[in-house]
Amino acid sequence: MALKKSSSSSVQSTPEEAKDCNQIRSDLLSDDPAERRWAARDIVNCPGATLMLLDQLEDETDLTVRQIILSSLTRLGDAEAVEGLVACLRSEDASLRNEAIEAMKHLPKEVAPIMATVLNDPDPDVRIFAVNILESLCHDDVEQWLISVIQDDEHINVCATAVDLLGEVGSEASIDALTALKQRFDEEPYIQFAADLAIKRISED
Amino acid sequence: MADHKISDQEFDKFAEFFYRKTGIKFEPTKRYFVDKRLAERIRETQSESFRQYFTSLRFQASGEELQRLTNSLTVNETYFMREDYQFRCLVDSMLPDVCERHDPRKPIRIWCIPSSSGEEPYSIAMYLLEEWEGINQWDVELIASDIDTQILQTAQEGIYSERSIRNVPAAWKRRYFKSVKGGHQIDDDIRHAVEFTQVNLSEASDVRKIRNVDIIFCRNLLIYFDDLSRKIAAEHMFEAMSPGGYICLGHTESMGRISPLYRVKKFPAAIVYQRPLEAK
Repeated sequence: MALKKSSSSSVQSTPEEAKDCNQIRSDLLSDDPAERRWAARDIVNCPGATLMLLDQLEDETDLTVRQIILSSLTRLGDAEAVEGLVACLRSEDASLRNEAIEAMKHLPKEVAPIMATVLNDPDPDVRIFAVNILESLCHDDVEQWLISVIQDDEHINVCATAVDLLGEVGSEASIDALTALKQRFDEEPYIQFAADLAIKRISED
Repeated sequence: MADHKISDQEFDKFAEFFYRKTGIKFEPTKRYFVDKRLAERIRETQSESFRQYFTSLRFQASGEELQRLTNSLTVNETYFMREDYQFRCLVDSMLPDVCERHDPRKPIRIWCIPSSSGEEPYSIAMYLLEEWEGINQWDVELIASDIDTQILQTAQEGIYSERSIRNVPAAWKRRYFKSVKGGHQIDDDIRHAVEFTQVNLSEASDVRKIRNVDIIFCRNLLIYFDDLSRKIAAEHMFEAMSPGGYICLGHTESMGRISPLYRVKKFPAAIVYQRPLEAK
């Protein structure tokens, strides 16, 4: 027994023949999670990939396959993919919601055009998730979106989430809105505390 | 030229941000190193202050400046026996665990990516021969991959400077190196035992070539990738591994911030990541 040069079973010298899209679509529905994962990767070059992936995401119970689907949707990054990820924010499945939030953080340019709409969603939970997306979204408008939330949103929990984040990423441009928010929720101790903390942090910078 | 002094608070703010972005944690003991490079980048980007630089760093959509800063804050030098506590973990913990459920008729596979100029796979080879009794019962295949074909050729030649082998124990140096023109060449048997192959970890078709790996060493590579590429690379390695296989990252890297596919495994000598046994 010793160190051995690897055999052909561990390193293939020739790549596998590329599968056609029909085969890939069929593999996406396979009983074998490994086949579904590879199909979720390979399908990005097939027509209608985004919708197929979104359909599978809805039904997929294997977390490893879901991760690959989300990565592929992020790579595709088209309007349908973003729309599908936004739809996941309404899911009852907390893991799927969080996975969608993480995926959208990778898509600052693609998410930006719909961010205002999501931040104005009728469901306050969806608006909170939208603020969560902003936490790590590399986009120039993050602070302005957060300012809009604390100026306009009527739901205290949405505002509180935005204030917490402004304390981290806000600049002097946020101070007036934070002060106004304190007046708007003048009987809410948490908002008083969080806004004061955010103002203090920004002023120290 | 303005000298941008970084305050304690700015350092903390930056260190926290950088940690979240890259998994690299800078303790205050690294202040001089970090401050110097931050001040350089502030100057080179013609930012007026840390604050202005930090804002652009944080919100620049392309992430270009973050990449530049990351490059300046990471050291590319590699050498024999680097982070050798993971090799100790390999022989004391990971291999015994892998061997327990491994088919004895099949070889154990270890994959190093990036291979760079070969110091890591050859260090592992020597460590196995010198420190692991199991080498008498098991066949081990060592695969070393890199995206750079030139560096793979250098690795296959296996000639190193005195500085590169400075941490190799003297007895091992005598046993496994010979003096040649240009430095010290690793023993032919070891050199020929390692399979060098080009792999771009971001390419699914490349990673498909690698299968049934029991232990991966992927150290100080993912820090150079953006978040999505890092996640995809981790997902590709997942496919290359056998269930229950292990992956070792660099000591400043954390899989927890890259992908939820792996489980943390704390061994006495090192923290590594495991593809769950039940993950098919």
